[in-house]
Amino acid sequence: MDNKWVGLIVGLIIVFVLAWCSWQGAAWAGANLGDFGKALEYPLWAAILGLIANFVVGSLKLKNFIKPGIRTELFLKIGLVLLGTTININTVLRAGGGGVIQGIFMVTTVFLFSWWLGGVFKLSDSMRAVMSTAIAICGVSAAIAAAGSVLAKKEELAYITALVILTALPLMVIMPFIANALALTPSIAGAWFGGNIDTTAAVVGAGTIHSKKAQEIASIVKMSQNALMGLVAFILAVYFVTVVEKGKEKPSPKVIWDRFPKFVLGFIVASLLVSIVDAKGASVLFSADALSAMSNLRQWFFCFAFVCIGLELDFSSLKQVGGAPLWCYLIVTVFNTVLALIVAYIIFGMLFPV
Amino acid sequence: MKISEDWWAVICAFALIILAWAGVLGKAKGMINIPW
Repeated sequence: MDNKWVGLIVGLIIVFVLAWCSWQGAAWAGANLGDFGKALEYPLWAAILGLIANFVVGSLKLKNFIKPGIRTELFLKIGLVLLGTTININTVLRAGGGGVIQGIFMVTTVFLFSWWLGGVFKLSDSMRAVMSTAIAICGVSAAIAAAGSVLAKKEELAYITALVILTALPLMVIMPFIANALALTPSIAGAWFGGNIDTTAAVVGAGTIHSKKAQEIASIVKMSQNALMGLVAFILAVYFVTVVEKGKEKPSPKVIWDRFPKFVLGFIVASLLVSIVDAKGASVLFSADALSAMSNLRQWFFCFAFVCIGLELDFSSLKQVGGAPLWCYLIVTVFNTVLALIVAYIIFGMLFPV
Repeated sequence: MKISEDWWAVICAFALIILAWAGVLGKAKGMINIPW
């Protein structure tokens, strides 16, 4: 058998075993460690076990071998489409509307602040573009989209990808606790996680640690923000061709559709299907058993994604670029965190309470 | 034509949704329940 296929199967087995251990760990902690144990939800176990496995496979030099099975984005997107089967379309439209308004404001403000601060730190234009898009929109996939638009160096993209995960993991754990300490409603907390944490997997993780409602709102808000990715990639490409690298071929608006996260369409269709209900409010298409099975599968796929975040973190790429982008990134992250809280409070607490 | 990861996610998720709709997943519920 091809080495790539063996790596895929071994990688998938490792991810599955670690996800299963995460469930067991969370169940054990919940039963034996009192209130503290109950706070140790499965996303935290999954990310930590993923990090430990990362060190182990890294020291055994097996990381590249199992890489085909480490599919964070794929697992996450399958989980998000399945999440659609647990949310009524009315909630999706309402939270999605608030999410788009929050997204447009946050993306614009955070992007421009990050771009300006990158200039103060004397970062290259391509590094500023990749970093600003990653922080302003949705971490790794936005960084990849921006890197394609501005032809960033490979090490710049690897560096930002590592930074995104490195900052998202602590935020995933700390933000739900701060949200509880501030007595935020699940909707505001979810909108805050969705507006601030860079990578979608950690947004879902923070929502999961907080509450079911926060998980739903955080996911919808983040997906609304993700949908803006194509537009930003297009504007960046136009800016770089007309201002930074004059004379190159003009980009086509087709990039807006190319970069549109198509799984969001799957999520909306899934939500539409479960929103067909009878007079008693019960789903017409799905039995209670089927709905519960899909809900369980969704949590499994999310758990696989959380394990993969820990597994794919690449520490070595952080050494290559130096400290200036790190400080710039951290300052913008603090700015993003405070601004997202205020905006989430106004939009989901006052204008569009869900 | 290469199918993007986004579409793969939609295909996989809807394959599971169809299995649930057909009642297969409901019957197999015991196998995939979170273990606690």
